[in-house]
Amino acid sequence: MIEQSCAQMAPLEEILGRYPREEASLIQVLQDVHRAYNYLPCDVLAKVSQNLGVPLAKVFSVSTFYKAFSLTPQGKIIVRVCTGTACHIRGATQLIDEARRLLEIAPGETTPDMGFTLKTVNCVGACAMAPVLIVGEKVHGNTKPAKVAKALGVEEKHHAH
Amino acid sequence: MITLTVNGKTVRAREGSPLLEAVRAAGVEIPTLCQHEALEPWGGCRLCLVDVTRPEWNGWAKMVVSCMYPAEEGLIVETHTERVVETRRVVLDLLLARCPETPLIQRLAREHGIEKTSYLPNPEPTDCILCGLCTRVCDHIGVFAISSVNRGAGREIAPPFHEAPPDCIGCLACAEVCPTSCIPYETSDARRTIWGKAFEMVRCPKCGKAHITKAQADFYAGRNGVPRSYFETCDACKRQEMARTFSKLSAGAVGGMETGKQGNRETGRP
Ligand code: SF4
Ligand code: SF4
Ligand code: FES
Ligand code: FES
Repeated sequence: MIEQSCAQMAPLEEILGRYPREEASLIQVLQDVHRAYNYLPCDVLAKVSQNLGVPLAKVFSVSTFYKAFSLTPQGKIIVRVCTGTACHIRGATQLIDEARRLLEIAPGETTPDMGFTLKTVNCVGACAMAPVLIVGEKVHGNTKPAKVAKALGVEEKHHAH
Repeated sequence: MITLTVNGKTVRAREGSPLLEAVRAAGVEIPTLCQHEALEPWGGCRLCLVDVTRPEWNGWAKMVVSCMYPAEEGLIVETHTERVVETRRVVLDLLLARCPETPLIQRLAREHGIEKTSYLPNPEPTDCILCGLCTRVCDHIGVFAISSVNRGAGREIAPPFHEAPPDCIGCLACAEVCPTSCIPYETSDARRTIWGKAFEMVRCPKCGKAHITKAQADFYAGRNGVPRSYFETCDACKRQEMARTFSKLSAGAVGGMETGKQGNRETGRP
């Protein structure tokens, strides 16, 4: 059942030590695992299930329910473009286009060097600053397409040919 | 016991029992899709909606799901008010959009006057109505092999990682309880497969019928502390054996009583 090569279990041991071994700890453990591994590796989830005594099917159900969790490896930096109503009206589409162009990936994808994952999210609750771009933990409000390259910290590519 | 009225008819019910029982006791039929008498009510399909009110509510009424709402003294239940019927119709219209090719949904929709969904039909038709009966029955048995995964439009019932579920014992309970029969499985004397997992069968030592999987026998034996051999015998043979034992016992008991009586008579006689 495990496709990924055995992920390092060391961070997990430490995470499991932080919480009581009970079902109620599940979400906290998953959040910490996600932070440590940048996604939820399936062999780690199997261990979590065993350790907390929560059936694997339940662990999988919770892991797939929350948008904040990814079951596939993600880039080091997660780039989120808000596509909520306010951001949509104020140009979210152009931000996405610009991010796509710079990173050469579509929303939901990860760059081959595992540097970036591009995502779209619904209203992040900062509509007054629309359109909103979030790079890692940093929120960029009132963004314009021209500012995306700087926010991402990537070189503006001058067309190759 | 308490008394309430359903569509004007007085019925008696156990206090706190689901209103649905009282509705049925009154001989009224309302559709349900996510309810099963062996499982806790869940309130997922919203088809069993009814209006409830009380005299002191001055004409105000609320819509509740009858499979979960507890029966109370003096409650006035109406099962087919205009808004209830209309809401049920919306639910069926949506279900038909999700499952445009599913006979059960087509029939229920037609019974409510819907021939075609008024929404955009699902471009990838499914038969699963997400009633949760399969996962709930599996949880109830204590296996927890499958669950609801993803959310919103992408929600579905699946085993962990969409692979053969490690915990599944191949009991087929999920497939049997599924109202639209949409969980595929195969079973023969030699093998059973469900959710992409293959199982070896156990043959009844008496009649040779392959009636349960090895995994089932192991699971039941592990759980109940009853020897595995008890589960290996099929139900039909178990019943026969039981019948034989009882007839032997009762023959013995009758014989014993007669001897007793005789003894009494003998000793009782002067
Ligand atoms: S067949 Fe497997 S998934 Fe279905 S109820 Fe039985 S144990 Fe659960
Ligand atoms: S598979 Fe069947 S029982 Fe399970 S949720 Fe879907 S319709 Fe209900
Ligand atoms: S719509 Fe983007 S923050 Fe609300
Ligand atoms: S039967 Fe009551 S909500 Fe489904």
